Amino acid sequence: MPTLKIDGKEVWVEPGTNVLEAAKKLGIEIPHYCYHPALKVAGSCRMCLVEIEGMPKLQISCHTKAADGMVVWTNTEKVRKARQAVLEFLLVDHPLDCPVCDQAGECYLQIYYMEHGLYKSRLRENKIKKEKAKPIGKHIILDQERCILCSRCVRFTREVTKTFELGIFNRGNRSVVDLYPGISELQNRYQGNLADICPVGALTDRNFRFQTRVWYLQQAKSICPGCSRGCNIEVDYNISREYKAGGRRIPRIRPRHNPKVNGYWMCDDGRYGYKYVDALDRILLPRRLDEGEPVELSWPAAYTMAADLLSEATKEGADKVGVLLSAKMTNEELFAARKLFSSLGVSRIGFRVEPKEPGYEDDLLIKADKNPNTKGAELLELGLGAGKSDVSALLDAAEAGEVDTVVIFNEDLSKSSEAERAEAVLPKLGRVIYVGTNWNATAAKADLVLPMATFVEQEGTFTNFEGRVQRFWKAVEPLGESRTGLSILAGLATALGLEPVSENAEEVFAELAEQVPAFFRGSATRNLVSTGNWLRARLGRR
Amino acid sequence: MSVEFSEKALEQLRELLGHYPDRQAAVIPALHLAQEEFGYITQEVEDYVAKLLEIPATDVHQVFTFYTMFRDRPVGKYHIKVCESVACHIMGSTNVLDYLRKKLGIDVGQTTPDGRFTLTTVECLGACEMAPMMQVNDDFYGPLDEKKLDEILESLE
Repeated sequence: MPTLKIDGKEVWVEPGTNVLEAAKKLGIEIPHYCYHPALKVAGSCRMCLVEIEGMPKLQISCHTKAADGMVVWTNTEKVRKARQAVLEFLLVDHPLDCPVCDQAGECYLQIYYMEHGLYKSRLRENKIKKEKAKPIGKHIILDQERCILCSRCVRFTREVTKTFELGIFNRGNRSVVDLYPGISELQNRYQGNLADICPVGALTDRNFRFQTRVWYLQQAKSICPGCSRGCNIEVDYNISREYKAGGRRIPRIRPRHNPKVNGYWMCDDGRYGYKYVDALDRILLPRRLDEGEPVELSWPAAYTMAADLLSEATKEGADKVGVLLSAKMTNEELFAARKLFSSLGVSRIGFRVEPKEPGYEDDLLIKADKNPNTKGAELLELGLGAGKSDVSALLDAAEAGEVDTVVIFNEDLSKSSEAERAEAVLPKLGRVIYVGTNWNATAAKADLVLPMATFVEQEGTFTNFEGRVQRFWKAVEPLGESRTGLSILAGLATALGLEPVSENAEEVFAELAEQVPAFFRGSATRNLVSTGNWLRARLGRR
Repeated sequence: MSVEFSEKALEQLRELLGHYPDRQAAVIPALHLAQEEFGYITQEVEDYVAKLLEIPATDVHQVFTFYTMFRDRPVGKYHIKVCESVACHIMGSTNVLDYLRKKLGIDVGQTTPDGRFTLTTVECLGACEMAPMMQVNDDFYGPLDEKKLDEILESLE
């Protein structure tokens, strides 16, 4: 293994590692623009120059392989002067857009100028004019003047999505990044990543554009609930400037690097699919229907009513109660719900809902199953079996008069394959309780509705399609009077006089890991453990 | 115009491809061929070349826009390219250009109304010993003066 010295410190790396990555291992950041660990090396920006003893000229560290005995200096006078000169060239035609540019605050031209530039402008000529604010896709806007032609975006469309929409056209100081003229917009489902990888403000996100300054944002580590892949994400939330982003607490979501799950990327469906979190149709208060008229309730009254409905129903026979949990719920919620309803004697506990149309799937990240925790629900041995969706089985039982009370967790049946049958059957049932985040056709007709928190308002774990148990953390408080699933189940347990349920996800997970073999930390589930997320969930480290 | 290579051009392309390690490398000669075939390169032609080479059209467009010798519009029967680089400039390329402008009645980048001549300027063509010089279609002419220019233009009538 090559052992080299960088800035006087020794480091060993895997053969084939470049000097830039070797320095990263020592915590030394070599400034760069075009280099991206997930893309092929272009070596075009020239910003990552370093001095290597025995080599007459400065070398670009992104394209120089670490070799045994190499002695590298990343911050000598010679290097600093070269970086300053490179930056001066990169900025020759760069417009002074910073006050109106979304990238400000996380722009590597700004950052490196403050660290390595700090020269006085020697420019006497006019800057070259290019196209500005050009929408090039559903989610992305291009500003050619701000572009430094690092070609990260071009390589992304080439190597990752393999859609080849972008290229660098013309030459010299007239070079621009642009769409191939034969197409009118980006055609891939991963375009949000272009705004992430653009080191400057040339590609910005239309969803995030002019919403807020990045320095008002805080980050929470989370897991995308958009499909069963479970891409690791960072939820950027804003609670210090409430009037920003039109009152949206979450102005954007970005992928968080996890080489085992999503690499550096996430899809657009996931990235922009979180908007229900701050939508106007969020359920904010418990509500019951009184002869068809909605009446808002306090939580104590709601718990009492729910407990009454459930005890009435179980008195008639616990097998007359059907529970539809959701594969959108966390492992902890599913486990606590299973425990609560089992102790009531309920055995019809399902979660499988078939969508109207099968979900889109590709070879990169997107999975057809649009639920984040189907695997978790399966490992908890939920479901009615019967070789069909649990909704269908429940509706069969309801039609046959075997079930007359249902509790539905966060599944809008009007969007399922059983939409018509559900619309006909549900109103005929004795009692329908809906626990969910947003209003929909199913919630509107329920006798009792309990408002539930969304994934950004709670913590917990999802089990992705491969069986990785991944933890996510809370970003913001539950909206209105909504409560986390665990909190609602705890309230119900108390109202029903059952064994108490913890509202703390970590405690519930500990119990779950002890009781459910699949989650148990043993040799048979080493794969689950080796992701690290399982252990972190148990230890509660952030 | 129907965008399809003649049998001869296809044969030339097949031969060309054998000269290069990959298809990407054959873009420039393929575009030259296309320009010979069609006179100039349109987007349709770029798409056709991309299809022939089995590479993304974006790659063809990157090359096409980078090099000045590829044309995106038709030129006259005789395409006059006057060298403006240092050696020719010192030897009087400005006079050559002024004389051609006056004589043809067109400016740089234009084509005579009868479609016979197109006048453009180029950078060094590597024939400094002939300075001031110009290229007409594939042939070099120089050193140039007004008399020589008259003779050349007459021979092209």
